[in-house]
Amino acid sequence: MKQAVILAAGEGQRLRPFTVTKPKAVLSIADKPILGHVVEALAQNGIRNIIIVVGYKKGQLFDYMGSGEQFGVDITYVTQERQLGTAHALAQAEAATEDEFLVLPGDNLIDADTIAQFVSVKPEAVLVKEVANPARYGVVSIDGDTIKEIVEKPEEAKTNIINTGIYAFTKGIFRFTEAELDIPDALNSMIAQGYSVNAREVGGTWLDVVYPWDILSLNDAVLRQIPVSSGGIIEKGVSLKGSVSVGKDTVIRSNSYITGPVVIGEGCDIGPNTCISPATSIGNNVVISPFTQIKNSVIDDDINIGPGSIIQHSIIDNGCVIGAHFIASSGAAEIKIDNEHYVVNVGAMLGEDCSLGNGVVAQPGVIVGNYSQIQALKLIGGRLPDRSLVV
Amino acid sequence: MCGIIGYIGERQAQPILLGCLAKLEYRGYDSCGIALAGSSFQVYKDAIRVGELAKASPRFQGTIGIGHTRWATHGEPSQTNAHPHCDCTGKIAVVHNGIIHDYQSLKQQLIAEGHKFASETDTEVISHLIEKHYQGDLEKAVVTALREIEGSYAIIVLMMGDPKLIVARKDSPLIIGIGDRENFIASDVPAILDYTNRVIYLEDDDIGVINSNSIKVRRNDKIISREEHKILWSAAQAQKGGYEHFMLKEIHEQPKVIRDTLVGWVPLTEEATDCTTTSDENVESILILGCGTSYHAAMIGKYLAKELVGIPVRAELAAEFSYHSQGLARTMTIALTQSGETADVLIAIRRAKEGGGKVITISNVVGSTASRITNQTIYTRAGPEISVAATKSFIAQLMALYWLMMSYSKADARRLADILFELRQIPSKVQQVLDNEDNILEHAKYLSAYENVFFIGRGINYPVALEGALKLKEVSYIHAEGYAAGELKHGPFALLGSDTPVIAIVTQDSTLKAMLTNIKEIKSRKAPVIALAEEGCEAVEELANEVITVPRVDTVFSPVVNTVALQLLAYYTAKHRGCPIDFPRNLAKSVTVE
Repeated sequence: MKQAVILAAGEGQRLRPFTVTKPKAVLSIADKPILGHVVEALAQNGIRNIIIVVGYKKGQLFDYMGSGEQFGVDITYVTQERQLGTAHALAQAEAATEDEFLVLPGDNLIDADTIAQFVSVKPEAVLVKEVANPARYGVVSIDGDTIKEIVEKPEEAKTNIINTGIYAFTKGIFRFTEAELDIPDALNSMIAQGYSVNAREVGGTWLDVVYPWDILSLNDAVLRQIPVSSGGIIEKGVSLKGSVSVGKDTVIRSNSYITGPVVIGEGCDIGPNTCISPATSIGNNVVISPFTQIKNSVIDDDINIGPGSIIQHSIIDNGCVIGAHFIASSGAAEIKIDNEHYVVNVGAMLGEDCSLGNGVVAQPGVIVGNYSQIQALKLIGGRLPDRSLVV
Repeated sequence: MCGIIGYIGERQAQPILLGCLAKLEYRGYDSCGIALAGSSFQVYKDAIRVGELAKASPRFQGTIGIGHTRWATHGEPSQTNAHPHCDCTGKIAVVHNGIIHDYQSLKQQLIAEGHKFASETDTEVISHLIEKHYQGDLEKAVVTALREIEGSYAIIVLMMGDPKLIVARKDSPLIIGIGDRENFIASDVPAILDYTNRVIYLEDDDIGVINSNSIKVRRNDKIISREEHKILWSAAQAQKGGYEHFMLKEIHEQPKVIRDTLVGWVPLTEEATDCTTTSDENVESILILGCGTSYHAAMIGKYLAKELVGIPVRAELAAEFSYHSQGLARTMTIALTQSGETADVLIAIRRAKEGGGKVITISNVVGSTASRITNQTIYTRAGPEISVAATKSFIAQLMALYWLMMSYSKADARRLADILFELRQIPSKVQQVLDNEDNILEHAKYLSAYENVFFIGRGINYPVALEGALKLKEVSYIHAEGYAAGELKHGPFALLGSDTPVIAIVTQDSTLKAMLTNIKEIKSRKAPVIALAEEGCEAVEELANEVITVPRVDTVFSPVVNTVALQLLAYYTAKHRGCPIDFPRNLAKSVTVE
């Protein structure tokens, strides 16, 4: 298996506001788009011929991935003009595929080990996983090694085995992608016509991102494996504990205390007297002012965080400018997405280019739309649409 | 501008030459050709694209050859004027980039001596001169021939039955790519990156003899060694990476270009502020030079210098500067050239140095000629720019100017701290402009129906109006003029009407009131107004027919977001009109002739 088709055309509406301007496959996890992690895992398995099916906001995806050079792979792009389904997306790549190839979603985090275990299986095959809560996935019923049926989001799941959306196919699959829009339906009709489709369960990391707070668990999983490296300037009196990776031209100022796993990008200005606690990713060109504490959070690029702030379990997208004494503490929050209620333990989620005055307090679970402006000393909670003005 | 290529090695030369020529296409050209020395001498050339040449040319055998893309200067684009050019015997072939000033007198003399010329080009005299001086040693013949020539050149000479290539340069770029039992010669690095990243930059008056496993460089008859450089960027960076055109890809790279620049230059707020103490006390004035887009960056630099440095500053067109240069001692000259090879800028740099001043060059190409003749070079971090219409290199030049002006700044520390604070947000602000692409596309469709467009701006955004007009005319072929908003009523008003849209760049600074008045004046002449304005500028929304919004930034950074919006407008207008965006007609990437 030398080729992989990555499906990255999807929008990810439930991930708004983070997916208003970019596809979910480029959401940043540990300073790299999810898709970048997927491509790296493939490259480690010698799969360097990569086809990426793009659609929604493809520009940002091109900007990150380019021709694949930085990942040591060769990328071909095909466009799915309308996002009709996974089988339809795959069909766009037909002309570019070899006899056998892997298919992966561009927005699922998968590690190299998982792929290594899966590539030996004979196509057509589905990578399956046993999960505690199968209802949001396609549930797979199995007979020995072969699949009997895949049922999408059943009201009552018969098994805990679910379809990860990772497949090994031959060109034979394309006979079924014309009539069906989604791959599980195509596989069901394949099975109905007497073809055998294998199921392979493997260990290793596999996480998907569906809701905004999922970004935190993916970030945590990736950070567990990061190596220690330091390209920046570490001033006197700084403590770096555990795995801490610091990018070039970043300066960590005196008396800052950083406990890994933590990733800090390039050109940042951190501290003095700043505490960064485990499972935190900080992007490029970020300023974190003195006496600020950040824990289990994802801070993207070009962000300025004022002094004396406390940020826990939070996600802050590119370009936000945050004043002094911002409080984003975590706690159990009830969040409504697509008319469903979820209770999660999370801090604040800020879209791109928000500006917050001094002393803003965010209630757990607040989702602030892109380009919002919050004046000083405001208490914010719930969901604020894009371009909100809180005065 | 003309591109030249040479190969000598063990592989069949034809596919390599054609592949390299395709990589040189971005320089702009109208004709192309190749010559190979195998068992016989084989030449194929025409006024066609490289892709057509690859299909039309017969399969030539041979492991040594030369190729050329021509951008016409002497003689129209035609098969006979295309390079390579041979001598009377048909055994010597030459490809050339540059201009031979005394070719007419040389040509008359050669004709009088019995030489027969096939083309109207200046280049052909080189082939005949070499033939005239050839007495069994090709290198000597080339050296003697070049002594008779006045002008600029990068040449490769190929002779039947002589397994080597002779190369020479003067005022035109030329590099040698070092391979394994093979060597490459090219006008610039992207042409050969598929084969090697080991490069030697030749200097003026160098003569090289290239074999498949040796490179000998002579200067004034002495063998010298030229340093080998490793190119760190790769061929893939010069690929489109999913985008339909290089121009769009390069526009989209700009947030990263700005971020990379920031990461390298201003990691520390106070360090940048500290630079103020290192500024040269002897500098009494600043002169900024450039051509085309770089001149627009120079003009913006003038406003920045006024705002931040506070000493007398002027921006000049490099091509005009030489005619009136005076009083250059105690002047710091900043020369802007993306390629570092622009002939007019090189001449101006030399002139400025002769005048006794210090010259700082801002260039995007490491090892370029400009960087070697200047006192100091600031390299912009734009990466290779392929699109003929400059986009990211312009923004990178602006970033270099911000950095330079902040280094020399005499503004108070608080103002500088504010600027630095805001500078860090600029990549995200530019990304916001890009994310607004679909909206700009709609305005572009509207604009594409017109044949005449005016751009107006005031203050620091006056050069942006010029740049917006330049981009539009370059890629969409719409006649576009940029004006200082106050100048419109001194003449161009006569041209305004319902079929001449005016694009007005509006910023919410001291120029706002005057600009709103200008828009009213224009509207009363029935000309439709598209305003480019910061979000939340209500006065403009009421006045203008259409508004393209950009994020609000400090006035000193408004040229960055405004230019990016106008780049997208030009791109999508050209796309809607079906223009060959990356290779506009008659244009060349770096203009290596005067």
